[in-house]
Amino acid sequence: MIEVAGLRVVLPPAVAAVDGVDLTIGPGEFVVILGRSGAGKTTFLRALNRLVEPTAGTVRIGGRAITGADAATLRGLRRQIGMVFQQFNLVRRASVLDNVLAGRLGWTRTLPSLFGRFGADDRGIALQCLAQVGLADFAARRADTLSGGEQQRVAIARALAQAPSVILADEPTASLDPALTSSIMDLLKEINARRGLTLVVSQHQLETALAYASRVVGFRRGRVVFDGAPAALTPPAAAAIYGDDR
Amino acid sequence: MRRASIVIGLLVLAWTVWDTGADPVRLGRGIPWIVDFLRRMLPPDLRVLPAALLGALKTLEIALLGTAVAAALALPLGFLSARNVAAPPIFQPARAALNFFRSVDTLVYALVFVAAVGLGPFPGVLAVVAYTTTSLAKLYSEAIEGIDRGPVDAITATGATRLQILKFGVLPQVLPLFLSYVLYRLETNIRAATVLGFVGAGGIGFYLQTYLRMIDYPAASTVLLVTVAMVMVVDAVSSRLRARLV
Repeated sequence: MIEVAGLRVVLPPAVAAVDGVDLTIGPGEFVVILGRSGAGKTTFLRALNRLVEPTAGTVRIGGRAITGADAATLRGLRRQIGMVFQQFNLVRRASVLDNVLAGRLGWTRTLPSLFGRFGADDRGIALQCLAQVGLADFAARRADTLSGGEQQRVAIARALAQAPSVILADEPTASLDPALTSSIMDLLKEINARRGLTLVVSQHQLETALAYASRVVGFRRGRVVFDGAPAALTPPAAAAIYGDDR
Repeated sequence: MRRASIVIGLLVLAWTVWDTGADPVRLGRGIPWIVDFLRRMLPPDLRVLPAALLGALKTLEIALLGTAVAAALALPLGFLSARNVAAPPIFQPARAALNFFRSVDTLVYALVFVAAVGLGPFPGVLAVVAYTTTSLAKLYSEAIEGIDRGPVDAITATGATRLQILKFGVLPQVLPLFLSYVLYRLETNIRAATVLGFVGAGGIGFYLQTYLRMIDYPAASTVLLVTVAMVMVVDAVSSRLRARLV
């Protein structure tokens, strides 16, 4: 459960990237945040786990406020929220397995992890997550030797390794060619269905949103301009999201 | 404006020619003396070869130990003086301290440490450590400031602590650069260490200075040849290693 109330994020110098958003997302939903680039989707997602500090408003994850939380509480809540990025954001020189193991950091005491020591099961969990994204044989490869689609799968495995209740995916297919888009979206849908995880995925493509979402939230200029089932997204509603800004 | 600055530049240079007594005619009159000096250096006196080799070995040791200690000491300093890691109240004084200590050359540090701990290779090691620590810390911090933000975001999102973010998000990106800088510093330190003996801080420079003072030019030329050979070998090995890192 994600509860957002009155969320505002003002980025320097003075751009209200998210401008008063109220939104409640229930467990197991597959929400697509739809909007043009610059509509505030990325900033909204990053404010949910406070990679960007909100200017005003509250965000609650599973009933606990992440806004205003102290460092330890913040880390504990972030651990429940896996995140997938447009540019994959893998450590390129590290092995695939090490990248997935990084998903276990929130569960690992700092000192041992600095010496590369993880919990006894962590390696097994990481390998299991790699298998789930179809890359079981890639564990020892260096991350930057993989194709874009494979790298995004590794990033998804890293998020899964956190054993999260929510996955935020920020334009996960925008850096991939169309054929890979459906394979990544299929994977996210499967995770949503099989593990019962809540997914919040930003997209600028209408067709992709309609094909996968259980609920579409349309963003425009930092505000929610549509919220409903994909079937309810009529041409006028789509025009309100994409509309002509000139 | 531009013409004025060119005129001012030329005037300054003309004044320096006058003030330093730079005189091509005087150089021309000195050429026979240079030729005479070179002739008296030949043939090299190979009887001092064992002493020269021992001196070269000591110089290598000074540079190697000094660089290794500095490479480690510079690590915390490098992170503390990186804009994107440390808070302004920390990195600004750290930066200023680095620039202050870096403005003094290894040879000057050697003078100080010879006075402090006496003659021999040890003050040479200390001098190399003093200069190299600050210069490496500066290079480290610039490498840290140039990293890709993406992996850092991804590691942060897992719920990692600050130290874990540094170890898993930052360090893998900068470590190859750090190693390359350390090797480069090792090369320059070997060159710097060859003259440390002039001020009593050990190594091959001590032999060179001694033979020159004794007007034993053939012996001095053997020492010079060994120095040149040592520097060339280290440069070749080190630049090959560096090419493999990047």
